[in-house]
Amino acid sequence: MRARTQMIGWLDVPLGWLDSFGEVARFASRVAGLLYSGRVFKYFGESLRQAGILVLGSALVIWAFVFIIGLQCGLQGAYFNRSIGAPSLAGLFSAYCDLREAVPYAFGYILSAKVGTGIVAELGAMRISDEIDALEVMGIEPVTFLAGTRLLGAWIALPFIYLVGIGIAYFASYFSVVQQIGDVSSGGYLLIFWMYQDPVDLTFSLIKAMVMATAIVLVGCYYGYTASGGPVGVGTATAQSMVVNIILVHIIGMLGTVVFWGSTPRAPIGG
Amino acid sequence: MTRALHPVQAAFEQVGEMMILTARTIVSAVRPPYPYGEELVWQFVFVLKLSWFPLLVSTFALCLGAPGLQAAGVLSLFGALDRLGGFFVVTAIRWIGPLVTAVVVAGVAGTAITADLGARKIREELDALQVLGVDPIKNLVVPRFIALMIITGLLDIFAIVFGLSAGIGAELLYHQSLGGFFATLFSNASVTDIWGSVLMCTMFGAIIAVVCSFKGMTASGGAEGVGRAVNQAVVIAIVAVFFFNFVFTAILFATHPELQSIR
Repeated sequence: MRARTQMIGWLDVPLGWLDSFGEVARFASRVAGLLYSGRVFKYFGESLRQAGILVLGSALVIWAFVFIIGLQCGLQGAYFNRSIGAPSLAGLFSAYCDLREAVPYAFGYILSAKVGTGIVAELGAMRISDEIDALEVMGIEPVTFLAGTRLLGAWIALPFIYLVGIGIAYFASYFSVVQQIGDVSSGGYLLIFWMYQDPVDLTFSLIKAMVMATAIVLVGCYYGYTASGGPVGVGTATAQSMVVNIILVHIIGMLGTVVFWGSTPRAPIGG
Repeated sequence: MTRALHPVQAAFEQVGEMMILTARTIVSAVRPPYPYGEELVWQFVFVLKLSWFPLLVSTFALCLGAPGLQAAGVLSLFGALDRLGGFFVVTAIRWIGPLVTAVVVAGVAGTAITADLGARKIREELDALQVLGVDPIKNLVVPRFIALMIITGLLDIFAIVFGLSAGIGAELLYHQSLGGFFATLFSNASVTDIWGSVLMCTMFGAIIAVVCSFKGMTASGGAEGVGRAVNQAVVIAIVAVFFFNFVFTAILFATHPELQSIR
């Protein structure tokens, strides 16, 4: 009843991850070079098409997921602040939770699940049905046309999807704290909520999320581009890309927090 | 049925089919004979081998960044860094531990299950099994279902341990002694917190197993089929887990008011 893939050792996952990390980095630097040199703008129409696919295909899922996370932030924050006897400060928890941590992570999770694995499945299918070789024969650089345009498309569409998602999470937290739990009045919540954030925090949060998005798209392109072994190989590559993406999302999230908020909490209190 | 409503209808059909698969799996699991013991142990070890490293890195990184440094930064302004222990009960035990476990299991083990079952489906091995008189649900889905339920619940304990050690790391980064951390941690943590967390995670395992098995067993459609199945499985599993988490947390807090008291 068991497949050959199940015969793995205890250290296979970390070693495989280190292995693929180098490969992904090499592939990523190649794609970044294409973008930097401007060669990808030859296929700007395709980039716009990829951005459109992201908006039409993934935006609703991302927003629904972010909405659930916003509800969670509000719920946990309301109960935590009730337990320390300061329910009116629930806005502090949800401001930090929504903007700085939970929404970037949620964005990373759903992006690696929906967009990352989707790219692997799509490019992998192209690879095993020899469409990528066909592109090369037609004189179209496959890395530029497939990976470069997807990365550019992600950079065009995802910042706006993310910013709308932040707004949706704010609404969800408000809904959860003020309407569902109801320990704090609407005005009291919003006063604290807006006091504990500023546009710089939003920029940091956006940078964090976009670094995650870039990594996820590149990992997806790498695994799709190098897929082999028939439809089964595409499935395996899709599963593997998810492993790498999950670890990358968490590491980027942690590094972002350390870099942006590690030395100073950027809170409007103390001195 | 108008065309605009077709995706909605398809989504409801899928949810219904997953419910049917859940019911058939549970019935099949308890009704004798029980031929799936060996496969269950294999799946258990397989998921553990796949998940331990991503889980370690993910929980440590997430708990060091989100509740560790962010909360420690604010608490240090108040000079109350010992309160971080109580905060970690809320975040690491009640919230982040179970959710990150679920995300890792869905992303690492769930995708592997979908890829595996999907490969068997398009190689027509599942049909061959049925022709041989072997029930795919009893022999393939039930062991995965039970193994994933148990392992997700147990991995939650590891996630909590790694998460709390990240909290210790954050305290050490702020040059704080650990006595206050452990004092507030143990005075705020309750048995309800732990069993709520583990029970929630067990349910997550069940959701992931059903979604991923269902998507694997219904994979179809040529070269893109298995990859597309993995893609859909992981999206549905993660969204379902997060939604279930919200409902479960709301019910747990509402039914156990002692979790809200100050200690």
